[in-house]
Amino acid sequence: MGGGKVRIEVERSIMQSADEASRAIRSLLAGRGIYAVNLISSPGSGKTTLIEALLVRSGGKGGVAVVEGDIETDIDAERIRRCGVQVRQIHTRSSCHIQPSQLLGVLREMDLSETRLLIVENVGNLVCPAEVSLGEDARVVLLSVTEGDEKPLKYPLVFRTSDILVITKTDLLPYVTFDVEKVRRAARAANPAVGIFEVSAVSGAGLPDLLDRIEALRAAKGG
Amino acid sequence: MHELGVANEILDVALAEADRHAAKKVTSILLRVGVLRAIEPEHLSFLFSHMSRGTPADGARLEIREEPVRVECPACGVLEARSLTWECPRCRGGGVAATGGDSLEIESLEIEI
Repeated sequence: MGGGKVRIEVERSIMQSADEASRAIRSLLAGRGIYAVNLISSPGSGKTTLIEALLVRSGGKGGVAVVEGDIETDIDAERIRRCGVQVRQIHTRSSCHIQPSQLLGVLREMDLSETRLLIVENVGNLVCPAEVSLGEDARVVLLSVTEGDEKPLKYPLVFRTSDILVITKTDLLPYVTFDVEKVRRAARAANPAVGIFEVSAVSGAGLPDLLDRIEALRAAKGG
Repeated sequence: MHELGVANEILDVALAEADRHAAKKVTSILLRVGVLRAIEPEHLSFLFSHMSRGTPADGARLEIREEPVRVECPACGVLEARSLTWECPRCRGGGVAATGGDSLEIESLEIEI
């Protein structure tokens, strides 16, 4: 009986099992030449509305597939289905974000033979989804002008890890106190390489530029 | 709410390591947590103590080593900050580079064998 206390070195990321699933997603997508976008924002920033608006304006809908993540309900998937694209709903239940293992399971069931662009709408939350990679090529964070311009400082991780910031509901700017320049400055401090787009799904302003960027990124990956 | 998943992963790793080393008990777990991770230590410890009940990690203490953001200012050099910033915490000047503060790692475990 040796007994006693021993300290053992582990040096392991707490996200390791999630990382393994996200690597599996990445290789599944790479094998099919699919470009994946992970949409993250607070609840009610307009993620589903943005997807609808982009689908209405984009040509090759056959090449787009959407995965919706919500704690409950199929409401969002129903909305996207009406746009005429392939869509799946993930119910995350007790989880406040889509787990990579959940997305992997859904992707394995989908027919992705025609898919070129995968849009994943994460659960509305600026904290937890930021911590987990879904194997996406681009992470897109939405910030609506009604939420306040201090968000990049309050939720730094999501702004640091996002490739694109979409400022939504810009048609409401005349009615709210929201300093776009302040947000741009804070977002660039978090990630100097971030691409920033100002859009209104209502007026359509800014949507063509955003679509062009996504298409350019997609083409650069898959051709 | 996200502390739940983190607590679960810590428990999984602790139990696997305890098993591998034929430990009777896990007595403490040293974590490195970046200030940007929005982890509330008390909440994490509370969840962990619940989830580990009846396992060899029951009663293990979570020791959290906080990792600050590293701010590099052209004028002041390297400083630490508690949150993401675009200005130097000392001279308030711009042009700083902020890195780190986003670790989420299990550094080591203390076990009883």
